[in-house]
Amino acid sequence: MKEKPLKLKILDWVTILLFLLATAMVFFYAPMERVMGAVQKVFYFHVAAGWVGMLSFFFAAVAGIIYLVKKDEKWDLIGYSAIEIGIVFTLINVVTGAIWARPIWNAWWTWDPRLTTATIMELVYFAYLMLRQGIDDPERRQRFGAVYAIVGFLSVPLTFFSIRIFRTIHPVVIGGNDPTAVGAFDMTPLMLQTLLFSILVFSVLFIDLMWHRIRLGQYMNRVDELKMRLQD
Amino acid sequence: MEPLNTINYFIAGFAVIFGAIGIYIASLVIRWRNLRNEEEILSEVDNETS
Amino acid sequence: MQAKTSFIKALSAVIWKDLMTELRSKELISGMLVFSLLVIFIFNFSLEMDARTRNSVTAGVIWVTLIFAGTIGLNRSMAVEKDRGCLDGLLLAPVDRTAIYFGKSIANLIFMLIVAAIILPVYSLLYNNNVISLGLILVILLGSEGYVAVGTLLSSMAVQARTRDILLPILLFPVIIPILIAAVKASNGFLNGVPFNELMTWIYLLIAYDVIFTSVAFMVFDAIVEE
Repeated sequence: MKEKPLKLKILDWVTILLFLLATAMVFFYAPMERVMGAVQKVFYFHVAAGWVGMLSFFFAAVAGIIYLVKKDEKWDLIGYSAIEIGIVFTLINVVTGAIWARPIWNAWWTWDPRLTTATIMELVYFAYLMLRQGIDDPERRQRFGAVYAIVGFLSVPLTFFSIRIFRTIHPVVIGGNDPTAVGAFDMTPLMLQTLLFSILVFSVLFIDLMWHRIRLGQYMNRVDELKMRLQD
Repeated sequence: MEPLNTINYFIAGFAVIFGAIGIYIASLVIRWRNLRNEEEILSEVDNETS
Repeated sequence: MQAKTSFIKALSAVIWKDLMTELRSKELISGMLVFSLLVIFIFNFSLEMDARTRNSVTAGVIWVTLIFAGTIGLNRSMAVEKDRGCLDGLLLAPVDRTAIYFGKSIANLIFMLIVAAIILPVYSLLYNNNVISLGLILVILLGSEGYVAVGTLLSSMAVQARTRDILLPILLFPVIIPILIAAVKASNGFLNGVPFNELMTWIYLLIAYDVIFTSVAFMVFDAIVEE
């Protein structure tokens, strides 16, 4: 357990290299956007982080279903790890979105469907953490976690859909213009390459972090077992 | 047309990205170390009692 | 045939038990009602509800009141089961678990509708303005159904946690936001006399959400109650 497996070591280094490469690409390879200037470069990792966030919550919901069918502790650990990582990346997504919006939309926050949905999603998974924290019995905690991961993930597209329709039926009154129109830009091939590469790199980063988090969880279980044995 | 000068927001954005990932990785490392310490103490106790 | 009748029997037994308990103690409905009235009064002063403001906020006020009162009701109805050991008794009984889920949901829905049936006339009376219409009643039925479908599921989890008093709203509110948006928008339309066919989108949406949430909730309910 203590020794890192070779595959993980390799993955760590690949991830670090890819991440540096992606950063270099964003900084130097992707062209400077003509209107928005430097802040537009946040966009690549902003989208990639949002993608990883969605991906991990999706994994957590799938792991929840498998857990409920198989009742295998392993799937609970996978789901819980995915949610922890998803929360970090969704937070990055929302905060970088706000930082981009400040100079471009002239406000940190707008009630834009995606922004709002991402934030509500974050709240769902904060609730998930609080639920787990409130239950002492491990087996019950795992079951309830799985249920909430499924129900919570299900509500995300519905929330997005509701807010979307809410917007089209009721246009923005204050501000007057469609927020998606401001700050839109045509992607050049170089930009698209950078974006796709960033998404790839963040996906690899996600796998790497998942692996570490799952190992940590297994270690925790082992130490807990040891503790239990000593108490007897 | 000159692009907007948004370099400060650019720096803030990347500080958040690198900062959040860094903090998360640090939390993994710290949790791992705490566990290792705990395990060592526990196994010492284990050896003493047995 | 045999299974079908026993399901309906179990279902009506669960509902009947809840209604009878409530009829005897009246603590749940009275608590929800007094709370709702207080919320309306607080809204009146905090929003300074003159005629013009009321046009735009009535739907929101009604739904926030219902949802807050609903949280109290859900928490109470599940906590009572838990504390008196009824839940364990029910689970030991050889009945279909889904009968328990639907029974509790229907009972909770009935309580919520009773509260709505009282606060709507009271609201109309307080502001001397009839808010009740067929459309609004339909929206309240559909919205409450979706709310209770998720609420019954989540409250049966929340009552088993250490932090149960604060946990239910935290778990429930982010998940029911889509229902709430659709319900408030549709109610707002009906209150402002928007023709029915223009509001069909929201009604269909509410129906779709109700179906989705109810079916998923009843599929996973087994996992919550099995011990």
